[in-house]
Parts: sequence; C-alpha cells; structure tokens
Amino acid sequence: MTSSLKDDDELLMNAYCDGELDPASAIEFERRLAADQALNARYNRLLSLRTAVRALPRYELPSGLQDRIKSALDANGPGQAQQPGEARLPGQVVRLHQRSWSFRALAAAAVLGAVISGAATLTLERYQQREDVAREIVADHIRGLLAPQPFDVASSDRHTVKPWFTSRLPESPQVPDLAAQGFMLVGGRVDVIGQDPVATIVYKHALHTISLTTLPSGRSVPDQVISGYNVRSWSDAEFTYVAVSDLPSPDLATFERAFSAASAAPEIK
Amino acid sequence: MTIPLSVRRSHFRRAELVEVVLEQQLEGPDRLSGPQQAAAPIVQNQDDRAVFDEVFLPHMAEAYRLAHWLTGNASDAEDVVQDAALRAFRGIRSFGAVNARAWSLTIVRNTAYSWLMKNRPKAVVFTDDLSAAEQRQLEQEGPQGTRIETPEEIALFKADAEDVQRALAELPAQFREAIVLREINQLNYRDIAEITNVPIGTVMSRLSRGRQLLIALLGDRT
Repeated sequence: MTSSLKDDDELLMNAYCDGELDPASAIEFERRLAADQALNARYNRLLSLRTAVRALPRYELPSGLQDRIKSALDANGPGQAQQPGEARLPGQVVRLHQRSWSFRALAAAAVLGAVISGAATLTLERYQQREDVAREIVADHIRGLLAPQPFDVASSDRHTVKPWFTSRLPESPQVPDLAAQGFMLVGGRVDVIGQDPVATIVYKHALHTISLTTLPSGRSVPDQVISGYNVRSWSDAEFTYVAVSDLPSPDLATFERAFSAASAAPEIK
Repeated sequence: MTIPLSVRRSHFRRAELVEVVLEQQLEGPDRLSGPQQAAAPIVQNQDDRAVFDEVFLPHMAEAYRLAHWLTGNASDAEDVVQDAALRAFRGIRSFGAVNARAWSLTIVRNTAYSWLMKNRPKAVVFTDDLSAAEQRQLEQEGPQGTRIETPEEIALFKADAEDVQRALAELPAQFREAIVLREINQLNYRDIAEITNVPIGTVMSRLSRGRQLLIALLGDRT
C-alpha cells in the first residue's frame, strides 16, 4: 500500500531522532534530510517536540520514600524469619558456645590466615588490574583510531552525546564542550573495560585524537606511557577519568584542567 | 509526507477505547509477583536484601518518575513505588543479572497498571495502536488525500511546559508510556520493548504515533 511508504518515513525519522538507525541508514537519511525541505521542517518540529518534553519539570523522589521502603522491608524481611528460631533455643545455643571453645580458636586462626593471604593476593591482583585497565583503555583508543571513525555517535553537540550515553549506560559523565579551550568534542563511544561498558568521550585537538574514558570512581590508574600513548588519569566524586592521546603530556595536563573546570561547573541547559 | 488530518484530538477521542484486561496486559515479567507467591510465607535472607539494594534501589528516582507519569499524580506514584519495591524484593531471585534498570522499571510499570486497575480502573485507557477511525481515513484517502504542509506551515512549538505536560498526560497509556520511557527515562528501544513487553517494531510505531498525536494536540491548542 502507498500509505505504508509514508509511515515508513515517519518511523525512519523517529528512529533517526532517537539515534537508533544503523550508520548506513543514518547517513542515507541525513542525505535526504539535506535535500528535502519539507522533511527537514518536519524533523525540526520533531526535535522541538523532544526539547519541549525533555524540558518538562522532573518529578523528584519524595524525601523519605526510600527510607520508608527500606524500613518496610526490614519489618517483613529477614528479621522475622530468624528471630523466632533463636528465641526458642536459648539453652542449646549457650551449651554449643561452651563446648566449642577450641573450635572457635581454631576457626579464628584459620580466618586470620585467610584474611592475611587474601589481602596479599588482593593487593597483587589490584595492581595487575590497574595495569590491565590502562592497557585495555589504550587498546580501545588504538582500535578507535583504526576504525573508520573513533566513535559510535558522531556529534559536536554535547546535548546529543550526553543523552546517547544516558540511554546506554547506568551512569554517564558530563560531556562538556571544550571547543573554546581548543579541544573539539567529536563524539562518544562505549568501551568495554573488564566486563563493564563505560563511556568514552572523544575530543580532537588539532590532528590529535583524545579518548577520555570514564570509570567508576575509586579505580585509580597511574599516569604512564603505553605503546607511545600518554595516559593521564584523575578523579572527581563521580568518576575516574582516563585520558589517552598521542599529545605530549603537558598538553594532556591542559586538557585535564579544561575538562575538570568545565565538568565541575553546573551544567547549563 | 505529513501528519494525516485524522490525527486530531477529536478523532482519537472518538476512537474506540479498549480497556485491556489486567491479566492480558500483565503477563510476562510480572509473573514473579503473582498472587500464589504472595500468599505463601516468604522466607528471605540477608543475601536477597543485599541483591535488592544493589538492583532496585539505585533506580528508585527513575521508578518514581515513571510511576508518576503512569498514574498521573504524586501520591499514587508513591504507593506504586512502594508496592513495586515489595514485589521486586519478593521476586529478587528471578532477577536474571542482565539489566537491573529494565528489570526494575518493568516491575514498576506492571505494578502501576495493576494498581490503577484496582483503584482507579477508569483512568487506564488503552487504544488500538492504530485507531479504527484513523485506519479508515487512511484507507479511504490514501496519502494523496492528505494535504502536504509547506515548511512554513510547520511551525515549531512555542507551547509552554504546562501545555506539553497536559497533552502528554492525555495520551492513551501505551503511547504515553513509550514517550515517557524514551524521553524522560531516556531508554533505548530495546529496553523499552523489554519493559513494555512488545516487539521493537511496536515500540517504534508507538513512539512515532505518540509523537504525532502530541504534535496534533499541541497544535490544536495554539
């Protein structure tokens, strides 16, 4: 039916607007958008609708609701199941305690031993992990440079990149536009570090590409050089940032200052 | 190439409204909180609680936002979120460790509808995805019958927030939830499909239809 053609257009336009078209279809749609004035007007109207809906006041979680829920769960959760059992057998419990003194000493020794060796392996593991994380991030950066483009979503508009992350990741970083400081926002991609998908923002400085990967805060990565790429890391309350680039390290330090200053400032909508 | 003239408020108001039977709408992921489970004594341990805290609690703000949009007011939303939290806790062992956000919001969404069905059945209105009137008009007129708007005629919105809010609240439930999940919760199509228990194609067409309806509603007002 002819009307289905029209419907398809509408669907295509919506999917493009939502960033859900595959790259080939997106490019084709953009070409049509540029050529077709009527389509372009409709697309702009769709965008303005989206802006209007997103600008709606947010319903904020009433304070205290979370606590009420927690205490409701405490009331009918684990407490009930355990306490009656304990209350019924006080004598038994006491006897068990007396008899098992030596077992307790043994158990304590065993636990202590386990904790010590556990801590040692943990530190070692953590050290290795930090190394691995840096190497993985650099590998993702290199992979990005080899691909036709180093990002999954191409846009110099932070209002496109930020929602793109938000719709894919549970936590997404601020995406400041640092063009004024000489670092052009070019897009973003999702990297997988360990098993976790994380947000990587891509900037350009002259001909150099900078990948800024955001890890959950608390995972420090030492500054270093891997395969000729400078790795520089810093943290704020929300994220640990790892910047990778072939820029010399003083320039990367400038980038860090620019990014920190911009992302600390409250986001202007 | 334009919004069918039929997409006007008057038309979809007149369109046949279908109240979907609760069980029919809520099959799928809500199984976990079925009545047979609620009736049995629940013995849950500290681990369940820890998993719950990790899986459900971080999405509480989003859960509330969704519940508010689905029920239409703050106190209902609180009830729904509380109810959903309890259901989530009871069903925490059915959490597949894949997508905590979608899992949590699925429960909230289903709880919201069953809560509405129980307490305010008149408030829940679903329509056919393409209403009978619209279908007929499309078939009779075809695309030629609809006027092509010139770019100049397609005005951008200057609607204020109140109008947008009211228009969104007026949409039939399945369009409203699709738009809220997309624009307010900012989920991708796959997650929306999972939460609303429909194929991705349906999500696409609901979003597209919902937005057209919104545009028509807002256009009527100005």
